[in-house]
This record gives sequence, structure tokens and C-alpha cells, in this order.
Amino acid sequence: MTKFIKSAIIVYAALLVQVTVLPAYVTDPFKPNLLIVVIAYLGLREGGWRGALSAFFLGLVADCFSGMYFGLSAFSFLSVHLLLRKVADRLYTDSLYLMLLVVSLATIVNGLIHLVLLLLFSVADGIYATLLADLLPQALVNALAASLLFGIPAFGVREEAR
Amino acid sequence: MYVVVGVVLLAAFIFYSLNLKNKEHANAFESGVLNLMAPLSGVVAGINRTATGVWSDYVDLVGVRKENKQLRASVKILNSRLLEAGEALLANERLRKLLELKISLHAPTLAASVIGEDGSPWFKTILIDRGTADGLREGMPVVASDGVVGQLVKVTAGSSRVLLLTDHASGIAGIVERSRARGVVKGKGGGRCSLDFTLHGEDVKVGDTIIASGIGGVFPKGLPIGEVTMVKKGEYGIFQTVELRPRVNISRLEEVLVILQDLHD
Repeated sequence: MTKFIKSAIIVYAALLVQVTVLPAYVTDPFKPNLLIVVIAYLGLREGGWRGALSAFFLGLVADCFSGMYFGLSAFSFLSVHLLLRKVADRLYTDSLYLMLLVVSLATIVNGLIHLVLLLLFSVADGIYATLLADLLPQALVNALAASLLFGIPAFGVREEAR
Repeated sequence: MYVVVGVVLLAAFIFYSLNLKNKEHANAFESGVLNLMAPLSGVVAGINRTATGVWSDYVDLVGVRKENKQLRASVKILNSRLLEAGEALLANERLRKLLELKISLHAPTLAASVIGEDGSPWFKTILIDRGTADGLREGMPVVASDGVVGQLVKVTAGSSRVLLLTDHASGIAGIVERSRARGVVKGKGGGRCSLDFTLHGEDVKVGDTIIASGIGGVFPKGLPIGEVTMVKKGEYGIFQTVELRPRVNISRLEEVLVILQDLHD
């Protein structure tokens, strides 16, 4: 229960920072998507139905503050989570550098899923140009944000010992 | 295992597809989340604005502080008074322009503050601190002192989301103020728009002002939308390519006006 409350507070704070604080100082596409960082962390650390449900729920919450397509981020976050669960066993998840790489790749995969679904089911013509142009900066900025967040001992990710 | 994963993904996909029909209406989940976030977003946005003002007003005085220790205390006091006065002046200027617009519009309006922005870089929406409790409904037009901002989508009790005119899903009927050429202003992301479906033979020049045509009954006729920045006429083709820059500086929006009268009535 304590873990759940702690997680809920972290997600609430991340969302508040992302939607209200960061836009005042950082312009798109250099505004990090903190929820993707959480999804990447969940994908590598939290398995089973609980992790999948959390990813889906986080996607729904993200959809409440992003775009008009409810369920879009829920689907993409769930897909990213399941993909990460598939490979989590083969990765050394204690490595900070690997986590940063995973966050970058998760951002790109999330963006590509959005692109496919929007092209197929939305009337947003030409969004592919904006989305593709923003993918790489987003991936890099999310990795930067992850490097700051994962530096916190509570996340339990450390640099590899040389 | 793969079957389970496939079924789960299919269920999520079906869930997304089912919600496509109602994408402009806030459902119970969205209402609940937005109602939970809006109060704190408003408070944090207010703190943000104060912090930004303090930072920008102290930078100029770093040299003075270094030069004279004795005046440091009085400079701090003077700074805080200057900060308050400066903020009040800027707010006064912004709100005065908004009031002039409110008077010029022959329709009831409601002022709202911007308390958040879209969480994704490829969608363009903002969050305002008014909702159904204040009489807002989905589809109502949103304007600022400089011109058109967008349209309300996803309205909840205490907050609403505004689809900006620069979003790819936005479309506003517009005309060129000078030549009365018609078109549809579509968002292109990145703070840009285009005027689509303008016939090849129509007279459009760089620098022309695009205003709302009133067609569709959403935006009052005559509201400025933007300024033409590029015109391209191919040798063949029915339409010409027109790009425009919105009149409103979306990245600096702090207050907006929602036009309460539903022009479909």
C-alpha cells in the first residue's frame, strides 16, 4: 500500500511538472515526457498484470492531458511495456547507461505507434512531419531527464562499476 | 503466452477505436483526472509566474549588489516593490487588451487563465481554469486580445482543454481580409498554420491578414487569425499553397477569452 501511494505521488508530481511547470521554461520538442521515463522503468522492473495495468492506466492519464484521442497513449504505453517485459530478462537493468538507452528507444517506439495509429484513424493530415521531426529531440531530452531521475537512490539504478 | 499478449493488445486497440467516435467529449475518466489536477495546476502556474518574475528582475541588479554592500537591503526592498509593480503593469496591459476585445465582441464572454499545456510535443492543446461550472461547453470558441486561439474540447467541471489553431486536427474557415479569398486555416504544428483549399486564381499576397469568415458558426466573423508568410502557386493544380503565422503568440498566452454564445443558436 505504501509503495502504491509513493508511486501515485511520483506520477502526480511528474504530470504536474510536465504539464504546468516545464512549459513555462522549455519549448517543444525539448520538453521531456516524464511519463515515458516511468513506463521504461516499469517495463524493466515491474512485471506481471500489475505492471501492464499500471502502464495502461498511465497511458489513460497521459491521454487526459494530450491530444484528443483517448486511448492512444494507453495503447502505446501498454505496447512499450509489453515489449520491454519481453527483453527485460536479457538486460542488466542495474546499469544506468542501459536504462538511458531504453528510455530513448521507448520514446521512439511510442512515437512511431502514435504515428501509425494517427495516420490510420485520425483527420490530422500532415502530423507525420511534426511527429518525425520531434522524435529524436524527444528521445534525447527524455534520456537526459531519466539520467537526472535515475540518479536518485530511490530508483535503485547505479552506474556500472569500472 | 503470445495469445494472452495478443488478446490484451487487441482489447486495448478496440478500447482506443471505440473512443474515436467521442474524441471531442470528455468521458468520466478524463473528467475525474482533470478535476483532480486542475486546482493544483492553477496554484503551481501562479507560483511559476511569480518565480519567473523574481528571477528576471534580480538579474539586472547583480552588479549593483556587488558594488555597494550598504545598499543591498534597500535594493532588495525596492526590487520586491518593483517586481510587484512590474507584474501589475504587465497584467494590467494584458487584461486591458482583453477587456477591449470583450467589449468589441457582441457576445457574452468569460476570461480564463492558462494553467497547463499539452503533454506531447506533437499535439497542441492548453488547459484553462474554467469548465462546465462556469457555463462552458465543448465547441465554444476561444480568443485572445490579438486574435483567434482555438476551440474548446474536453470540458470538465473546473477546467477545459483548448484545441489550438496550430494543432493538426484544427480547421477554421477563414478569408483574406484584403481580397476576400476563402480558405480553411489548418494547423501545421510548430506554431504554424496553412490556408488550404484557396483556389489557384485567388489573390493572396505575403503580409495579407487572414480573418475568420464566420462560416460554420463557430468564430465570429472578422476575428484576426494570422498573417500570410508564404504563397506558392504551382503551374498546375486547383489550389495554391499558403502558409501563415498566427496573430496570437501561443507560447506566451496567459489569459484567454471564451465566447459563451454558441453561434449555432
